[in-house]
Amino acid sequence: MAVMRINIGPVHPSTHGVLRLVVDVDGDMIKRVEPHIGFLHRGVEKLMETRMYMQSPSYLEKLDYISPLSWDELYVASVEKALGAEVKQDAQVARVVMLEFQRIANHLLWLGTFCNDMGNLFTIFMWAFRERSKVLKFLEETTGGRMFYVNIRVGGLNRPLPANFADEAHGLCDYLEEKIAGYGDLIEKSSIFMERTKGVGRLSKADAVAYGAAGPVLRASGIEEDARKSKPYYIYDKIDFIVPTGYRGDTYDRYKVRYIEMQQSIKIIRQALGMLKGNDVVGAPIRLIGPQAKPDTVLLSRELPKGEGIVYMVPDKQRPYRISLRSPAFINLSLLPKLAEGSKFADLFPIFGSLDIVLGEVDR
Amino acid sequence: MANDLPYSVQEFMNSEKEMSKLTQMASKKYRMPLNAVFTKLSDATRAIASGTVNWGRRNSLWPMQFGLSCCAIEFMDFGASRIDSDRRGFLMFRGTPRQCDVMIVAGWVTKSMVPRVKRLYEQMAKPSYVVSFGECATSGGPWWESYNIIKGIDQVLPVDVYVAGCPPRPENLFNALMMLQQKIGGEAVRSSERSVSEDLHKPEIEGLRLP
Repeated sequence: MAVMRINIGPVHPSTHGVLRLVVDVDGDMIKRVEPHIGFLHRGVEKLMETRMYMQSPSYLEKLDYISPLSWDELYVASVEKALGAEVKQDAQVARVVMLEFQRIANHLLWLGTFCNDMGNLFTIFMWAFRERSKVLKFLEETTGGRMFYVNIRVGGLNRPLPANFADEAHGLCDYLEEKIAGYGDLIEKSSIFMERTKGVGRLSKADAVAYGAAGPVLRASGIEEDARKSKPYYIYDKIDFIVPTGYRGDTYDRYKVRYIEMQQSIKIIRQALGMLKGNDVVGAPIRLIGPQAKPDTVLLSRELPKGEGIVYMVPDKQRPYRISLRSPAFINLSLLPKLAEGSKFADLFPIFGSLDIVLGEVDR
Repeated sequence: MANDLPYSVQEFMNSEKEMSKLTQMASKKYRMPLNAVFTKLSDATRAIASGTVNWGRRNSLWPMQFGLSCCAIEFMDFGASRIDSDRRGFLMFRGTPRQCDVMIVAGWVTKSMVPRVKRLYEQMAKPSYVVSFGECATSGGPWWESYNIIKGIDQVLPVDVYVAGCPPRPENLFNALMMLQQKIGGEAVRSSERSVSEDLHKPEIEGLRLP
């Protein structure tokens, strides 16, 4: 049978953004997938070279707009490394709490849209957004912004924590734990979900390493690599949590890894709240001149919700001379041609959805 | 209270007069060509019909499921459980432009995206409305200095309502669509105006080429 070429996107409800896929199909089987990116490119790295250090976090947050706080924190941490600045103890704990809530919010949104892609689980979309709005409300009370926070500052946070921070966080943890446990029942008893995910889009261990896969995609293939464990930062080395891994490397494992990560995040938040001593979190004033002790280069990595993100920066006096960002979403997108090849056309979007990419971060 | 009716009182009275005239003529056995009867009838019904059509249009806006970047996440929240956009007739989001009449431009528009956005607008059912959601779509926002962003969607499309914020809250979008409903119903001041940039009729934006 002749090969037919199908164009999907750049505006398509299932591509979760502005992505164009050119798919060659032979009957129902995919021969080749070619992603075309760049529809959201706006030159973030170049713009950041013209901004002073603490003007840039707003740009960083718009990279991964599903979990803005994580890129914000990664960038400010690299500025702190350039400055040689210490982070206050309470601020470290508060950052960990907020980052883990951000991870939960990210995975909830991913779960909702992924289940929506499956066809019959719009209920989960509604539920996930209900829980996500609770998390956003908590972060809004803490930071002042609903979606973009710009709350991390050199040495600490932008504003002091609210008085009922710990109580609210504990209450939210209890709420989320109960609700997330309920998702599992609904999802894993759905035969449509299980048949469309189990054994679909398998990624072997060797391929995951060869393609440089990041985050839950890498862990679902059976490699226990998490920057929170392997290069612990802040208080992660004092916290007891597991890094979930899969062994089949299929779409179901990628779902399960993220699902367990949400539960582990709740565990981390509870332990971190126990270490919160006071409310001494506010960092240095925002009029920051520039690195006094200037190292040649700064290279820093953090475990973002989507994988390991890296900032490579050449600091200068007032602003970075050059900054380069390693985006986990971009690298995971490069796996799509490999995973989708040979599978059925209907499996393309479960595979694509399981990679959890954000086009704002892919295109930069 | 008159605004709640799908037609104005004056129009209704006129149409009633027309109808009674017709019946009088018929009773006097006045010979009238058949076409003229239908023309008169359509005149009579037009008043009611135009009101009804506008009433229907503004109470069943069908937004297009079309997100570009960050603001699209708030757009999703708008359709999800907390806000529940169905309450005021912003019906289900459709994936295809041919079933929609409201385009919510949520996010920055790059130069490579302009021809595609334009084509989507042309494919939509007429009359179609455009809501510019967020600062990037309104003016370029934080990417004003970027080399790849057009500074506002009104350079390529006529815009009905602007929503400010980065990103605007979902409640804000709800308010914007309610304003659009007022506009369609003719209740808002200067409601027929749509902001159009001077560049709209230029064949090409500078430095922009079709792929």
